[in-house]
Amino acid sequence: MIKIEGLTILLKSFGLFNLDIEIEEGNFHFLLGPTGSGKTLILESIIGLHRPKGGKIWINGKEVQGLSPEEREISYVPQDLALFPHLNVLENILYGIKIKKLPLREFEQYVGALIKVTRIEHLLARFPTNLSGGEKKRVALLRALAPKPKLLLLDEPLTGLDPSIKLEILQLLKTLHQSFHPTVLCVTHDFEDAYLLGDKISIFIDGKIEQVGKRDDVFLRPKSKKVAQFLGLKNIYKAKILNRDETSNRWRINLNGLEISAPSTIVRNQIETEKEIDLFIRPEEVMILREGKPIKESLRRNIFEGEITDIVDRGGYHLVQFHTNLGKILFEISIPNYALRNLNLFIGKKAKIALRDEAFWMMD
Amino acid sequence: MNFRKTMIGGALCIFIFYLGLILSLFYFVSGKGFWDALINPYTLYSIRLSLMAASLATFFAVLIGLPSAYALSRFEFPGKQVIDTFLEIPMIVSPIALGASFLVFFNTPLGELIQTKGIHFVFEIPGVILAQFASIAGLATRLMKASLDEISPRYEAVARSLGSSPWQAFYRITLPLSFRGLIASVILSWAKAVGEFGATVTLAGAMPGKTETMPIAIFTSLASANIEKAIILILILVLIGVATLYGVRLTGKIYRYD
Repeated sequence: MIKIEGLTILLKSFGLFNLDIEIEEGNFHFLLGPTGSGKTLILESIIGLHRPKGGKIWINGKEVQGLSPEEREISYVPQDLALFPHLNVLENILYGIKIKKLPLREFEQYVGALIKVTRIEHLLARFPTNLSGGEKKRVALLRALAPKPKLLLLDEPLTGLDPSIKLEILQLLKTLHQSFHPTVLCVTHDFEDAYLLGDKISIFIDGKIEQVGKRDDVFLRPKSKKVAQFLGLKNIYKAKILNRDETSNRWRINLNGLEISAPSTIVRNQIETEKEIDLFIRPEEVMILREGKPIKESLRRNIFEGEITDIVDRGGYHLVQFHTNLGKILFEISIPNYALRNLNLFIGKKAKIALRDEAFWMMD
Repeated sequence: MNFRKTMIGGALCIFIFYLGLILSLFYFVSGKGFWDALINPYTLYSIRLSLMAASLATFFAVLIGLPSAYALSRFEFPGKQVIDTFLEIPMIVSPIALGASFLVFFNTPLGELIQTKGIHFVFEIPGVILAQFASIAGLATRLMKASLDEISPRYEAVARSLGSSPWQAFYRITLPLSFRGLIASVILSWAKAVGEFGATVTLAGAMPGKTETMPIAIFTSLASANIEKAIILILILVLIGVATLYGVRLTGKIYRYD
């Protein structure tokens, strides 16, 4: 278990205060935050390259903030990789083992397995200048993992790569993690990386951890409007709780004149009626109804009429903009490509939408 | 006017200017006189002294300059800007003023103590080395700092995370990576030391067979109308200069990691 408590970093023109991060052993933990928010500084403070103003760091119960970087057993892969240009690939990989005077024999099998998984057997005698971007990433990851660190720190490992190489490295990171179970703290600004790889994600905005949770908790159940906006989530509205229908155990919510019925489970805490809330309606849980097709009972509560005002092709799916007739509320609806074809949707088409119960999420 | 031809013409003008200057030296050279001037014991001594003193001055300049360059390149500390500015003093102050400052210093109580209890510098060989050291230490530090600045501190950061102490990260990573630049810095500093005149003549004097370096010997030869000796020494200095520049260029070709 890696525990960072009250980490405070003060520089001349920048400061981070009281950061707490906990990483379970063997977890792939993401620190997801915007560019320039100080994520790299956090990593460098964990390694020991910056002396934080305050806070404590424990690695498997051992307090390490007083130790120098070489004593902490934390490996680091910076964004620019920093492969040693005067050493060949094998020398780069074995650097940590040799410098720590670890018994090479004991590591032989493990390093061999790493080399096999990363498929760089043919590159061992080459120098880093003769490697491609993807190959460099592989070698940098392997070099960091070779001395079996207690914590592996990755700084934006998938940023700036071509899409095909990005996919390859993403798969490699997944395989390495599944095969060797290192404890990883990875900083990134890319939601997709965090979503695809993260066991847990810490959302880091304005110098504070706003939410920590499993990826679905964070992406489907953002704690606050701030988190939702940072994650680029659509359909966030100010709404008002009207009352609770005790018989159906549901809330009646007013959304700019549109009356919505939402399941009681969306409210986690005690809530007063007439209170203004931040409501998130998940774009993928909004259905565009087919004309003439019978509607399920569970969908009948929240059906609204309106018009399609825009359709954006997002590659794997389409994002449809729908304005309700009542209240002129804009809903963004994510639908698969085949559904768009089957429903014969076009801009200007009059249609009906239904909100599934799974669509609703209320934020603090 | 053709742009390309004009620019290349400028480069050719400079080349012809310097080449003409060097070739003009041969106008006064006759075979016998040239050889006699070369094997003259005082000439040979001034060559030996120049090379030895410059090498020692460069050694001390690197010994102190390398850690200074590293500190200025990598760390933030109080007084950094002041130290950085002071490095340029030998470059902006006249060498004679530098030598004269030493003479004044060695007349202070501390200076006299150093002279009587330690090493005697004024009008002695150590004075030659000290004057050359003073002239090149700032330059050597500045050049080495530039070489270290080119090496990303990230390499050391990674080396530290992999288990290197700061010393190990320095000599296993930073030093080999900046070696090319450091060698070039050393060569250029050494060449400047070989050619140093003002501070040396002021502090160590111009005694043939004792403190007379090559540049000083050129000056005294001209003063005593010994043109052939002056020319042979000028040619040797030019040769050293050309070899130095070639050496610097050569370091750019070796120490490549690919």
